[in-house]
Amino acid sequence: MQKSDSERELAGKVAIITGASRGIGKAVAAKFARNGARVVLTGRNAEAGVATAKEIADDGLDAIFVKADQGSEADWTAVLAYTQGAFGRVDILVANAGISNNVPTARMELAQFRDLNRVNLKGPFLGLKHCVAAMRRHGEGGSVVLMSSIVGMVGVPGYIHYSAAKGGLRLMAKAAALELGAEKIRVNSIHPGMIRTDMTAAFDQTVLASRIPLGKFGEAEDIANAALFLASDRGKFVTGIQLVVDGGWTVQ
Amino acid sequence: MTGKLTNRTIVVTGATKGIGREACLALAREGANVVATGRDKKGGLETAALVSDLGGACLYLPHDIRKEDDWCNVFAKVTERFGAPHGLVNNAGIFFVKPLADTTEEDFDNIYSINVEGTFLGVRRAFQSFAASKTQGAIVNVSSLMGQVGFPNAIAYCATKGAITAMTKTAALEGAAMAPKVRVNSLHPGVIWTPMITGIFGDDKALSDAFAADTPLKMIGLPEYMADAITFLISDDSAYVTGAELTADGGRGAD
Repeated sequence: MQKSDSERELAGKVAIITGASRGIGKAVAAKFARNGARVVLTGRNAEAGVATAKEIADDGLDAIFVKADQGSEADWTAVLAYTQGAFGRVDILVANAGISNNVPTARMELAQFRDLNRVNLKGPFLGLKHCVAAMRRHGEGGSVVLMSSIVGMVGVPGYIHYSAAKGGLRLMAKAAALELGAEKIRVNSIHPGMIRTDMTAAFDQTVLASRIPLGKFGEAEDIANAALFLASDRGKFVTGIQLVVDGGWTVQ
Repeated sequence: MTGKLTNRTIVVTGATKGIGREACLALAREGANVVATGRDKKGGLETAALVSDLGGACLYLPHDIRKEDDWCNVFAKVTERFGAPHGLVNNAGIFFVKPLADTTEEDFDNIYSINVEGTFLGVRRAFQSFAASKTQGAIVNVSSLMGQVGFPNAIAYCATKGAITAMTKTAALEGAAMAPKVRVNSLHPGVIWTPMITGIFGDDKALSDAFAADTPLKMIGLPEYMADAITFLISDDSAYVTGAELTADGGRGAD
């Protein structure tokens, strides 16, 4: 059911969501579009990205896909050019794209560490830089959400590269919040815990769920709700926070 | 000197000046053999001489922490001279302040490769060495107060220090599962009066007074205080401490 205008919290806004072909990014893009935003989905898999954008657009909503690698500055230039051309402005960035694999530190190759951080850490920095430049063009502020993780707060064996990226994003958001606050550009991080997506498909849900106070994995939709809060005017006094959505994992 | 580190060998990166140099002196006072590494040979040799003046054993080794070969060379030379090391202080790092709009991809890559990859390579090499030599080791990663709270015009620096804060926790869990166990903690200095600061802002009494006035304890941060914190985290005094964030900032972070 189409929401009424008063409920369309992102009406008139243009949002860029990276890693939006599937999982959390897809849920964020769909929710933002249903709330009135014109959305630009990016990702490395053109086939999946185009299909996801079409799914959203088929509901009569504004969605386009741009094939882009979050870690490539040239791709960010292209994403911003497409976005300006299609929708004329940028108000929201959700830097969500990320990759992950498990390798014990003692056996991790420098190339593995570097490849992950190029996408997961440098990528959001480049996105922040390019999107903030676009937000400054209209001067009406904006909202940036950096998708960190509970791994940015607590350790997980075998993920030192992922820890570096997610811990880096946590502080990148705080530093950016301080630098950009006067321009009404808010920057926050979201810290998903165990969420049911392709990335966690191989995890043993039964065992891990027993460690989650709320007793189960979260859904991509749970993260999309948090992102909507931070991106919309409901979160207009919120900046530099780390919004943890983990069913209670990190409070124990 | 109570000799709590007698017969231990500790590697300190970025030991050619500042916090790293003071850490070498403090560790040597506790009886450790210290290995001062860094790119500046003159500074490194000065550190070694200062440790010798205390009656301690110190070896300077040239070291670019971005280079895997340098890490292999440092650990090989240390083992040759003193035996396998017991501790690593990942102290080397660079400071960087620039507005977002002026921070280039090259700027980001540069500070990332030193602060983040350099620290990763150190943890990895130390883990390998501790495992091979069956050593109950300790690692201190020098993060920053800016790896806990944000700071304007320091997006890249804060990102690298946040990365170190979080890497430390994963390393701590992996180290806890090793046999013998390895502890890994992070130190978070506030504003410390070292060449990292004076090199940018100048060694100005009025400025250091202003920093002190702006700090709850009304003190200027001295590298000696960081050296004491590092000694605690490297020694058995912190035997039950791992994955922890030790903030030594005169109370700035609480303000």
